[in-house]
Amino acid sequence: MTTEPSIFIGIQKRRRQYVSTLCLLLLVLCALACLNLTIGEKNYSIYQVLHVLTGTSQEGAYLITRLRLPRTLAAILSGIAFGVAGNIFQTLLRNPLASPDIIGVSTGSTVAAVYCILFLNLSRGIVSVISVFAGILVAFCIYRISYTDRFSANRLILVGIGMQAFFNALINWMILKAAEYDVPTAMRWMTGNLNGIVTDSLPLLFLVVIFSLTCILLLRHGMQSLTLGDEYAIILGVRVRIVRAALILCSVMLIAFATAITGPISSIAFLSGPIATKICGKSQANILSSALVGALLVLGGDFIGQNLLFTRYPVGVITGLLGAPYLIYLLIQNQKGGRI
Amino acid sequence: MQQNHHLIADHLSAGYGEKTILNDVTLHIPHQKISVILGSNGSGKSTLLKTFCRLLSPTEGNIMLDGKSLPTMKSKDIARTIGLLPQSSVAPEGIKVAELVSRGRFPYRKFMSPLTSEDYAAIEEAMAAMEITDLADRSIEELSGGQRQRVFIALALAQQTDILFLDEPTTYLDIAYQIEILDLLKELNHCKHTTIVMVLHDINLSSKYADYIFAMKNGHLIKEGTPEEIITADTIHDIYGINSLVIPDPLSKSPFVIPISSHDAAKGIS
Amino acid sequence: MQNKKTITLTFFGMLLLLIAIVLSVTYGTKSVGLSDIIDAVLSRNTSAYNVNVVRARIPRTLFGLIAGASLGISGLLMQSITKNPIADPSILGVNTGAALFIVTGIAFFHIQSKPAYIGLSFVGAMLTTGFVYKLASLGYGGPSPIKLAISGAATSTALSSIISLIVMPDSSVMTTYRFWQVGSIGGASNEDILWILPFFILALIVSLSLSDQLNTLLLSEETSISLGLHVNRTKALAALCGVILCATTTAMAGPISFVGLMVPHVIRMLIGSNHFPLILLSGIYGSSVLLLSDILGRIFGRPGELESGIMTALIGAPVFILIIRRAKVASL
Repeated sequence: MTTEPSIFIGIQKRRRQYVSTLCLLLLVLCALACLNLTIGEKNYSIYQVLHVLTGTSQEGAYLITRLRLPRTLAAILSGIAFGVAGNIFQTLLRNPLASPDIIGVSTGSTVAAVYCILFLNLSRGIVSVISVFAGILVAFCIYRISYTDRFSANRLILVGIGMQAFFNALINWMILKAAEYDVPTAMRWMTGNLNGIVTDSLPLLFLVVIFSLTCILLLRHGMQSLTLGDEYAIILGVRVRIVRAALILCSVMLIAFATAITGPISSIAFLSGPIATKICGKSQANILSSALVGALLVLGGDFIGQNLLFTRYPVGVITGLLGAPYLIYLLIQNQKGGRI
Repeated sequence: MQQNHHLIADHLSAGYGEKTILNDVTLHIPHQKISVILGSNGSGKSTLLKTFCRLLSPTEGNIMLDGKSLPTMKSKDIARTIGLLPQSSVAPEGIKVAELVSRGRFPYRKFMSPLTSEDYAAIEEAMAAMEITDLADRSIEELSGGQRQRVFIALALAQQTDILFLDEPTTYLDIAYQIEILDLLKELNHCKHTTIVMVLHDINLSSKYADYIFAMKNGHLIKEGTPEEIITADTIHDIYGINSLVIPDPLSKSPFVIPISSHDAAKGIS
Repeated sequence: MQNKKTITLTFFGMLLLLIAIVLSVTYGTKSVGLSDIIDAVLSRNTSAYNVNVVRARIPRTLFGLIAGASLGISGLLMQSITKNPIADPSILGVNTGAALFIVTGIAFFHIQSKPAYIGLSFVGAMLTTGFVYKLASLGYGGPSPIKLAISGAATSTALSSIISLIVMPDSSVMTTYRFWQVGSIGGASNEDILWILPFFILALIVSLSLSDQLNTLLLSEETSISLGLHVNRTKALAALCGVILCATTTAMAGPISFVGLMVPHVIRMLIGSNHFPLILLSGIYGSSVLLLSDILGRIFGRPGELESGIMTALIGAPVFILIIRRAKVASL
């Protein structure tokens, strides 16, 4: 059999490019993490930070290990969670705008958390637990309601938008009825922020991220087949229902846990997938790349919100601002023949 | 890898929701031949194809592959034996042709592993068979309709199935592309002995390329046989309800159908 | 047959509206009797406490009447122009656009006056509508319902982030915004009514005069053009009316969602798609639905009340989901 080298070369070249882009993103992420650890109200050198982390120095130990390190880790983990989950939803629903924060998948967590904060005055840990369950429950409801005789991506999106509207009304109601002084807490939580991250919530988030990410990576060939449409996937021998349900479940877990800990950081789920695709091209599954992009966005957004502006803003406000320019960018792209 | 696979529909009924479209069809796919399913709109041709390829579950009856009922078999095993080119295909935008064709290797891929040399060989061969090797690094949007269709057939070929179903592979293509695609399929059948089953709308093209024809009407299989047996004025009238004149094609000697319009009848030609 | 149905529906609608008006005036934290209403209307016995309660509830009721009709008709127009059964100011994100402009006005230019609110809200609503429509038209298949809905939702999300950025540092703006953004007809004054009434009448007349053109527009665009219809002009005029109706209401009452979605949808299901009766009936039923939601809000929210904007969303969202579930997959 003659082998025409161009096909190997093409596929493998794109593969290599993907891997090197991943490495580059990882490098930028490390740099940004260092920046977040060293710069703040009080600046430390990178050596001081290293000394503190290795336990050889005590200077600034509290600030670094108790505040900045958990904050940075939480930013990275939640960024990965939102980025990957967003990308999975956009890929499965075949619509670049269909991210979980827009189609209501994360509102369940938000409603539960706002209720707990405003009316039950529960501690942050319990709020997290409740909002994880509420998030998974609501996502399941959306899936069930939209699944009539067969799965339809469009129906899922629309049901989600309806649910979103319903829960937003509930949230507005609660905010209106709540005591004045609790409202800012709830508002801040709703935009997503990294203040007051406690170290003990991180191991769980870490485990969830690792577990879900592994499952998703294992299923990635099936997911790629699903992008050709259900028909093709069945022909190719993908067990469509199981693969899709598993992918959605993993994404929902990621979203629910991350939301429970940091609040729904806006636009990360929405933007990570498209940015990763833009950087790495559409021939790859872009799971790891959207994870890294998500982490970068959260970390970068938090750095800007904390250090570069005249008022301190929660990270969600900063990242949320990226949404509008992205939509405008889509419009401009279209003038040049791009597509939604 | 060439085996004599027996694919049989056994008293098969299927439909959408309450509506039964396919009604008690029993047939045996002739192996290593090109079969064409003919029938008027809504006669159940596509439904039959979809049921064979597991896109629809039968409401009654069974599909047997080598004596085993399809639902009892492993999904990937079936996918290594039966392939389908659906009526319309949506490609993820921006994907390169080579990667798109490589998706056809799914049933052979292991968890987490990259493409193997066998995978590459299969992709290579499929693309060569469809003469699209030059297009490997192009985006799918840049292609013409005919090229696109060949890419999707290559995807199905990369799946390396012994039985290949095609649902109207020539729709929306002009006559030049139609001939091109059908010639490529004939070639494939000839060289690799792939069993091909397709739905075609054009009776004369069917007659030219098919070894065997299934005629369907209202969800029933009404007749089957070689083109010479099926393409007769009587059967054409049974299937489509039109009068026609059937003459031998001057080139291939296969039957050639000339429909008779009411104007022709008025002039007393028939 | 169709005509008979229309007449029955009109009759029933008027009856419902009357009941809603009476309930809206009488029911509340303090309930009053019918005789008090008559007294109030005839300006008799003005010193009695109950009569004053009634007089206080009249602007709210009148305002609800106009706002509900505006929203109903606005939703209908948007649905007809986009040929999309699920178009609605809230789904299309138009409310958020209006909100952004108003918040900007409050925060940076210290705008307080009602006409300025209306102006800002109108500009915001207009720009957002155009933007969302453009966004949904991208790519294959034009602005399909699903693409409109998701473009609207995405735009809405993006704009809300900008709103939070503006609102968060300034607690006084935050408080104003917090109350404005839920949408309520509770705080309406006579002045508000005078502001929205002319817009309402103007838009109503224009859209009624457009009803024949709108009927033609339901055919394909090519057919409409070959029938001699100025497609773009008709669409632009109807869109302008729709946006004016929704923007004025939003400026005065805050975003009230789903009235414009449910009402025209149900009415069209009942009487078909002749626009003249559709517009009138959407108005009548829009008013009834908004007033009844307001009353329900007073019932469920006791001892206080539940804002009508929240109430319409709590009722409307499930209706929306029902519509989606019933719809054929292909039509989405």
